[in-house]
Amino acid sequence: MNTPFNALNEMIRLTSPFPESVAVKDWKAAGRKVLGWVNPYVPEEIICAAGMLPFQVTGNNEPVQMQGAEAYILSNSCSYIRTCWQLQLDGKYGFLDGLVSSSMCDQDKRLHSVWEYYQKLPYMDILYAPRKRDEVAVTMYTADLEDFRNRLSRYGLRWIPDRDIADAIRVYNRGRELMHRLYELRKRDRPPVSGAEALEVSKAAARLPRARFNELMEQLLDEIERSGREIKKSRRLMVIGNDLHNATQIEALETLDAVVVIDEMNCGIRYAWGQVDTKLPPMEALSRYYLLGRPVDMHHWISDGRLDFIGEMVEQYKVDGIVSEIVRFCTYNTWDKFDLKKQMDQRGIPILEIDLEYGHPAGAQVKIRAEAFMEMLESRAG
Amino acid sequence: MNTEKLVTAEQFAGALAMAVEGIKKKPGLMKSAVPHMQLIHKYVENIATAREKGKWVIAHGTQQPLEIYEAMDCVSLFIEFWGVIADVVKIESVPEALSISNSIGTAQEVCSFFKNMDGLLEAGKWPHTDFFLYATSSCDNVKAFHTLGRRYGIPDFGLERPYHPWSPQAMDFWKNEHKRLIAFLEEHTGKKMDYDRLKETTRLSYRLTELTLDIDKLVAHVPTPMSPECFAATLLAVRLFAGNQTGVDYLEGVKAELQERVDSGIAAADPERFRIMWSAFTPFWDTSLQAFVQQKYGAVSVCEVLSGWRGDAKWLIDPDDPLACLAYRSQLAPGNCQFAPSVDWADQIVNQARKFKADGAIFNNNWGCKQAAALGPLVRDELLKHTGVPTVTLNVDVLDHTFTSRAEIVSQLDSFFEMIETSKAYKARRNLK
Repeated sequence: MNTPFNALNEMIRLTSPFPESVAVKDWKAAGRKVLGWVNPYVPEEIICAAGMLPFQVTGNNEPVQMQGAEAYILSNSCSYIRTCWQLQLDGKYGFLDGLVSSSMCDQDKRLHSVWEYYQKLPYMDILYAPRKRDEVAVTMYTADLEDFRNRLSRYGLRWIPDRDIADAIRVYNRGRELMHRLYELRKRDRPPVSGAEALEVSKAAARLPRARFNELMEQLLDEIERSGREIKKSRRLMVIGNDLHNATQIEALETLDAVVVIDEMNCGIRYAWGQVDTKLPPMEALSRYYLLGRPVDMHHWISDGRLDFIGEMVEQYKVDGIVSEIVRFCTYNTWDKFDLKKQMDQRGIPILEIDLEYGHPAGAQVKIRAEAFMEMLESRAG
Repeated sequence: MNTEKLVTAEQFAGALAMAVEGIKKKPGLMKSAVPHMQLIHKYVENIATAREKGKWVIAHGTQQPLEIYEAMDCVSLFIEFWGVIADVVKIESVPEALSISNSIGTAQEVCSFFKNMDGLLEAGKWPHTDFFLYATSSCDNVKAFHTLGRRYGIPDFGLERPYHPWSPQAMDFWKNEHKRLIAFLEEHTGKKMDYDRLKETTRLSYRLTELTLDIDKLVAHVPTPMSPECFAATLLAVRLFAGNQTGVDYLEGVKAELQERVDSGIAAADPERFRIMWSAFTPFWDTSLQAFVQQKYGAVSVCEVLSGWRGDAKWLIDPDDPLACLAYRSQLAPGNCQFAPSVDWADQIVNQARKFKADGAIFNNNWGCKQAAALGPLVRDELLKHTGVPTVTLNVDVLDHTFTSRAEIVSQLDSFFEMIETSKAYKARRNLK
């Protein structure tokens, strides 16, 4: 049994209960606003510079019963958006002063529309998430971010100056740097943290005031180094596909003789990736970072780079097998499956494909398939 | 892999030529039913014979500037329509193509229009294609164009439409995307765009818009003169023949016939008990459903939300600047607001319900359509709130007849029409006690 880390425990304490946590209550008690954000094309830095808390709207470690949500969003849509909407219907997101989304996928757009139509918050916004990664897209996205800054300034009754955005960039860059250091530690033959723990860290980053998160992250990295902790498992796994926020899904994999050493999720490695260029004007820098500074993701039309990125991570993290967890009805992921499998076959990396409902824990069927997958990895190694 | 039930472009063309002859002999239809079928036949034949004529074939998604393709002398192949034709010609074809798509790992819950293409490409039964062209202003499935293009060596280009299209910078950006599209085509075909020809195709397209609006006015007449066999007239012409004289000639004929029917007091149904608007059209495996609904319930089909233009659609803002016109056109074009916030879409539908004096709406919740899954309930609520028009939701796959049956649909429709008839809103509209 590995000793728990105090800093991680503190992150979990501050972000509990979900979603209206200790940290959220403290923030609101000071008379400050909380803005929910829905996908990775909403720059948190701008919200932070407006003096508001950016809080990622997600589910958590418990499945949500969604009968209510399905009266608004039919069941042939992804369970991630239905979960978020159900939590709102249940009053769990009652602390939000606003919601900012982007047109990253059809379903995120519709979640925003449903929220706006049935339970409009004081501030509602939706940005444009380009499907291409080029200079033309940067120009358009920068203009959209400027519009967002204007609208948010009007809402906050305070112009958000470049200086404050530059300060927020520095804070978020530091957070990314620290999270990335944690990823680097997972490259070790015996990584010091499990995949489930690493997911809890990423979730905390998206739910805590970033400066506070950074303090805890520094403490966590220090604790890790001092503890000498090593996870002794035979197989190294990579989790790819949709964002998962239910850490028990990863825990279930790690009850086997395996540890998740890397992922390809927006709430995982991409969230920790790279730095916003502090030499550029801040709005342009944000635009460049959010469009070009992170690895290609599933929503990009030309997803060749995504497949390459997965391949590179497999090499760097010495991955034995990939677990592809796709939330049913996710259009983007399915169109990459065929070529991804082909490319990984060429690299000799097997993939376990799991279609799941967002937020649900790994059921018996998934466990049986994971066990069989592990046996297969075992036999290949032998 | 079983491919016996799959049909090639040449086989489609042959079957449709026979259908044209068949429809000529069928009594009781609108005169336009024959040119309607001829239009479809011509479209498919153009695709089937493109290679021997040395033409480039563009397989494309929805919301595309066909006027540009026409001006570049390319043949357009709307991939969604290819699935529709498969249903019309050989109903077993689509399930077989979907099954092949499943067998190579494409998820079952993806849009069947794209899965049909995926399966046919895998089986080698997809028509010869030189380019894949697409736009953000439809849905996430357009990613398939690049994915499949990569797999089969077909160059692709996507037009990226801003989410908020009405600002000056967004319009400039969108117009520029059209320039990039032309550059892509020029590079790959080795031909230069003839801008005089583009002005002409743009002019023809605008005429088509005017005709659809004129036809809408005639269809909105009570009782409506439009019969089910030509209900898709404007949708077909606008989505398949924009920029082409054929489409204009066809709609001129439809308009003249509808005017004649209005003048002569010929109604599609007598009595006209209900006026119905459709969303996401009819299940294409059951093209006689609208005729059935008319016959059984006296319910005439008066509008399809995917056929409706925004406002007065005066998009020919500068005939000497065809790209600016086309960029603007697409923001007003039928179905484009599906890419916009849902409330915007719902507003359009409410306006249509009023314009066509609808009594009820039939919403096809197309299994693979993620746009519609969250849009349908909101539109349903908005329609009821503003117009008192109720909606029935049919859970279908609009291409795959094995997903649900006519019997299930009829059972829902029986209750739906009974409910409308007893509703206060209906009675008030019809001055009934």
